[in-house]
Amino acid sequence: MSYELRDHTADVAVEATGPTLESVFAAAGDGLAAAMCEEIPEAGGERFEFEVRAEGREALLFDYLDDLIYERDVRSVLPVDNEVEIREPERGDEDGESGEWALEASARGLPLADISAREIKAVTYSEMALEETESGWRAYVVFDV
Amino acid sequence: MTDNDAGDTYEAGEVTLQKVRDYVWEIPREGDMRVPARVLASEELLDQIADDKTLEQLQNSTHLPGVRKYNVCMPDGHQGYGFPVGGVAGIDAEEGCISPGAVGYDINCGVRMMKTDLTYEDLKGREEELLDALFANIPSGLGGGGVVEGDIDTVEAILDRGMEWALEEGWAVEEDLAHCEDEGVRHDSDPSKVSQKAKDRGKNQIGSLGSGNHFLEVQRVTDTYLDDVADAYGLEEGQIVVLIHCGSRGLGHQVCTDYLRDIEKAHAGLLDQLPDKELAAAPAGSQLAEDYYDAMCASINFAWVNRQLIMHRTRQVFEKVFGNDWESMGMDLLYDVAHNIAKKETHTVEGGEERELYVHRKGATRAFPAGHEEVPGAYLNVGQPIIIPGSMGAGSYVLRGGEDSMDLTFGSTAHGAGRTMSRTQAKKDYWGGDVQDELEQEHIYVKAQSGATVAEEAPGVYKDVDEVVRVSDALGIGDKVARTFPVCNIKG
Repeated sequence: MSYELRDHTADVAVEATGPTLESVFAAAGDGLAAAMCEEIPEAGGERFEFEVRAEGREALLFDYLDDLIYERDVRSVLPVDNEVEIREPERGDEDGESGEWALEASARGLPLADISAREIKAVTYSEMALEETESGWRAYVVFDV
Repeated sequence: MTDNDAGDTYEAGEVTLQKVRDYVWEIPREGDMRVPARVLASEELLDQIADDKTLEQLQNSTHLPGVRKYNVCMPDGHQGYGFPVGGVAGIDAEEGCISPGAVGYDINCGVRMMKTDLTYEDLKGREEELLDALFANIPSGLGGGGVVEGDIDTVEAILDRGMEWALEEGWAVEEDLAHCEDEGVRHDSDPSKVSQKAKDRGKNQIGSLGSGNHFLEVQRVTDTYLDDVADAYGLEEGQIVVLIHCGSRGLGHQVCTDYLRDIEKAHAGLLDQLPDKELAAAPAGSQLAEDYYDAMCASINFAWVNRQLIMHRTRQVFEKVFGNDWESMGMDLLYDVAHNIAKKETHTVEGGEERELYVHRKGATRAFPAGHEEVPGAYLNVGQPIIIPGSMGAGSYVLRGGEDSMDLTFGSTAHGAGRTMSRTQAKKDYWGGDVQDELEQEHIYVKAQSGATVAEEAPGVYKDVDEVVRVSDALGIGDKVARTFPVCNIKG
């Protein structure tokens, strides 16, 4: 799994790839962290967990990234080293989009006081992509700076 | 790439703009566009506007139901998310819709300018002392806390009463309210429409700059243009002023996010008609349209208090540095204007009909002319002040609402210089330390929490603010009153 920061006139975009849906979510989360901080220390901070539920795959990615930003503000930490487990809707839903998607996330919360970081305001749907590729999954997300 | 015809059209890839008159370009209705789109720009600015997705986003914004006349892109417009930055849309408040994405995440991001009686001569030689004192005392960056450490009750009181809360608590004087758009309170606010999540994010950011393009800048007035208006505003050459640019912080960002998601789920049918999911809109009269409007108004109040607390703290810093009280240094608020906002306003639309509209201004400033009933009493005879911040290496401007703004732009003008270069590219081209050194050669002192912010906000990444303001002035939507130049700048 990996991510790249992509050009955008005013904001910043993250393109993430990974062999599985879970890995591409986590990579997008790590890309969000990288967009806020150039030099992320390898140690420090405690891991925390949270859950997200949404009506579809793309909405789940949106809400997951929104929650990372929310957790950053209320815990005063930068969430890094993201890990994600996804529970797809029960089989039998025709397109997989009609049931509820759920996600369990964990991140290492680096205290903001210990690093030099800048603010990303929010996740956007603008130009958002979440698609299966020959080698796995690809996500593209524009964040408001 | 763009081909520039010197004639009556401008070719921007697949889009052809027709020249209506000097600085007014129109993209005629086609496909699902409900009204034409207009760009207000010189050819120089149009070359930049046509270079990213601004025009596509502007066209997309005309798909929103209930748009009236035309959607307009200001001279400083650039690509945003969904709705372009610098975009203005007047959307019918009965038959149309309201779109959180067309306001933006940073609800009531805006600018205020505080005057002083100090002159540049008084400040010379003490710039670094003042810079350090401001930086040490005004919360900025990520996790820097706020001027006020509040609880949920505090947040709710601010959401409910805006600057009136600040007045009650001793953070403002009555004159501050009289010199703020809407006197610093949106009475349509309803704190119960703001989520717990948003309030949680807001409570430790009350009175903080944040980061990105937000800043506090001490400036000197270098030029005045309309002497009678400059007099009415109390501006003269050599005078020191303070400009504060920030918004509603995490609270406003969360409100936009929450309603975007709720609207996406509740009004999927409308969303399916729109070319960009970020344009999601609630139909006028729906519960979500009402709720979002009330929550947005609450966030507007929060942003006004945010800027007020920063201004209050700035007064205290000046008191310490200059050993005088702020009243005797004439540290009075000139004006506070929002540039990310949707407001119910009455405008004349097609066929001369008067309609109540949700005027969406995203990266655009209200610019009501002299005599308009919503201009505060202090400025009723000259028009409302408009504050246009430039980059930290260039001048900023004070304009006044122009006579033609009601006809051309739903009473709006530009909001800044507008970016031309991405943040990722800026960090490749610039190094924060070098930018700081170069600015210091020009006697501009900059201090930031993050060196990367300085690189991302380097003067070279912005459009020419002089050209933006020249076009605004030539169109008569915002007339040039005064120009200022940076002295000290702090940012996140």
